[in-house]
Amino acid sequence: MSLLSAQGANSSPDRGALAELLALFGTVADVVAGDAPDDGIAIASLAVAIASIAGLPEKDRDALFWAALLRNAGAFGNPGLRKGDPLSERSATMLRWDVPADGARTCAAIAALPEGTADLVRWQAEAWDGTGFPDQLRWNGIPKAAQTLHIASAYVGLRAEPEEGLACLAADGGQRFAPEQTRTFIMWFHTFGGEITPLEAPADSLSAGTAPHDIVELLADRVDDHNGTARRWRRIGRRADALATALGLQAQQIRRVTLASALFGLGELSAAAPEAQRFDPLSRLGIEGRAANAIAAAELIAAFPVVADLASVVRARAEWYDGTGLPDRMRHDEIPIESQVLAACVAYDGLDDRFGSGAASPSLSPLEQLESVAGTQFDPRVVRALADVAKVRP
Amino acid sequence: MIELRERTRRVSPSRLYELLTRYECHSLVDPFMGLPTHLNYLKRHGIAVHGGDLLEWFVRVGEGLLTNDFTILRDSEVAEIVEMLPGRLYSSDMFKAWEGVFFTEEQCVYLGVWHDNVRNLRSDGQTGLAILGLWRVLCYWLQKAHNPDDMQDVPPSELAWSYIRQTEKWVGSNLRRNTSRQADVLSTIAAQSADALFIAPPARNAFRNADARIWMWEAWWQANPYFSIEHAYRDSLFGQKSADEHSYARAIATVLSSAEDYPVVIVQTTEQKQADYEPHLRTARANVEIIAPHPHEVYLIGTH
Repeated sequence: MSLLSAQGANSSPDRGALAELLALFGTVADVVAGDAPDDGIAIASLAVAIASIAGLPEKDRDALFWAALLRNAGAFGNPGLRKGDPLSERSATMLRWDVPADGARTCAAIAALPEGTADLVRWQAEAWDGTGFPDQLRWNGIPKAAQTLHIASAYVGLRAEPEEGLACLAADGGQRFAPEQTRTFIMWFHTFGGEITPLEAPADSLSAGTAPHDIVELLADRVDDHNGTARRWRRIGRRADALATALGLQAQQIRRVTLASALFGLGELSAAAPEAQRFDPLSRLGIEGRAANAIAAAELIAAFPVVADLASVVRARAEWYDGTGLPDRMRHDEIPIESQVLAACVAYDGLDDRFGSGAASPSLSPLEQLESVAGTQFDPRVVRALADVAKVRP
Repeated sequence: MIELRERTRRVSPSRLYELLTRYECHSLVDPFMGLPTHLNYLKRHGIAVHGGDLLEWFVRVGEGLLTNDFTILRDSEVAEIVEMLPGRLYSSDMFKAWEGVFFTEEQCVYLGVWHDNVRNLRSDGQTGLAILGLWRVLCYWLQKAHNPDDMQDVPPSELAWSYIRQTEKWVGSNLRRNTSRQADVLSTIAAQSADALFIAPPARNAFRNADARIWMWEAWWQANPYFSIEHAYRDSLFGQKSADEHSYARAIATVLSSAEDYPVVIVQTTEQKQADYEPHLRTARANVEIIAPHPHEVYLIGTH
């Protein structure tokens, strides 16, 4: 399924789109890892500033920027971060040590990233004295750029007053951080007063080999794995695409529906469990949870111009046709048609899942259940078209 | 001031784990294990690991990180290591020879006290963990001598306490038998069977310019400040006998031919030294795959 433009990643506009989607990927990974959504850009900017003072070559600085943005790429599906099974703090911590190496594997699969990015992600948490993770590398066995990423990440992660942050990091010289690295950090601190100037992502450093839609698909797959809903977006996307076509939507609208299918799951990352597991997709009981998820996904997406137009589609997916939905109580045609298509397909998938697992009443098929809420939760035209689509392609 | 090496050999266990997974290997022998933190990683990821080395302190640490599945050092036990215990007689001049050369008088006294306290531990696992924690103190001190203004003055017992306490996080079980032995490379290879043999061979004449942080700790463990690593390696396969190019090549060939029973052999080297090993591996194995993620990190993987 091709989501964004089907061109390669060679042209400048596509490189810009790719850069934004990689930044989105990193931001979502930060949410999964429990970091703040804007940590990535702060860490990347700081790391590059320190690297400039240390005299690292430009290609290393580019790799460093991307590695900082994608440093939590391995957080998706990590058992120490996954919802559900409660683990002891020690077990969860040990499992989280795998985040850098898993992230390196993810980055290695993204051909467009500058050479060396994956290794910086792998070694971002190694400590100078050998007590870091995952590899317990020590001393100069840790690449300088990875040491830089570690110190930048530690400073931003402290969320302390600048002077306090400086004191904490300086105390770790020779232990977590190389003495030389600490000195460079202190030099940066005194030059810039501890204030990080946000930098733009070096889109030009991305090479060919990865198309923007590859990143959307990778992200959607990882989000589904993390949410415990493997391949859900692919099922919903296929059905939504067919439904939008059956309804006679324009190509641009179909594109928005398909992309929204790939991204709506972002909103469930902070939820305790996937929606369909918590509530009957047609029950009013789950409406607040669904709306909260829709808002969370929309807020994440809205910050990235390349997909920002989808925020309204994703946000309105918990609206009801009769105007009793959330968050904005839209009704009838006020609800974007793309949102109605997405909502119907998400509900159908949830019902189908519950039907198949025996969790729902076996007396009514998913389609019969959907038909029972045509005119209240969903537009009757959408339900009818979905019934036709589902009959052809269950 | 003692010179600290600029370059450090990098063994990335997470990368090694990826290779082992790819070749479906569930157990591994490393006859040149050195500090076995990489084997500890593999152990935590379910691989049965067996390491061997000639230096005893490496082997002791192996007992703490590999063989030991459960034992840690609790606060009270750490406290009994890091300070002088009343009623115990200490040899205060054990490391006098290092005083004023590498360490201060206070540091030398602590080295002696810690040595005696660790030698008195009854558990092999705890001994290994304590040796590892205290080694990090030694490294800190040597580093601080190079960077006096960049590193904090931390009281010795506090630094030791913190480093020993940290070792707890590396202790865990993989429900497999893992071993650590003090033996020459050929004995280790012959003593174990496993899916894979991993070797990161010492460079030719490596024993002549060993990192001070390595030989000094063996000297500490042996309570012999005059310990020489050259002496320890004298009669070994990669010691004095393989100092010249041809003998070294023969030694490598001997190691690889003795590994016949291992389905997979992984040699870690660098781009610069690849030619020293690749022809021998190609002679010993029908198939050789080369994975080179970095010029300083090249893996030659031989299978039958």
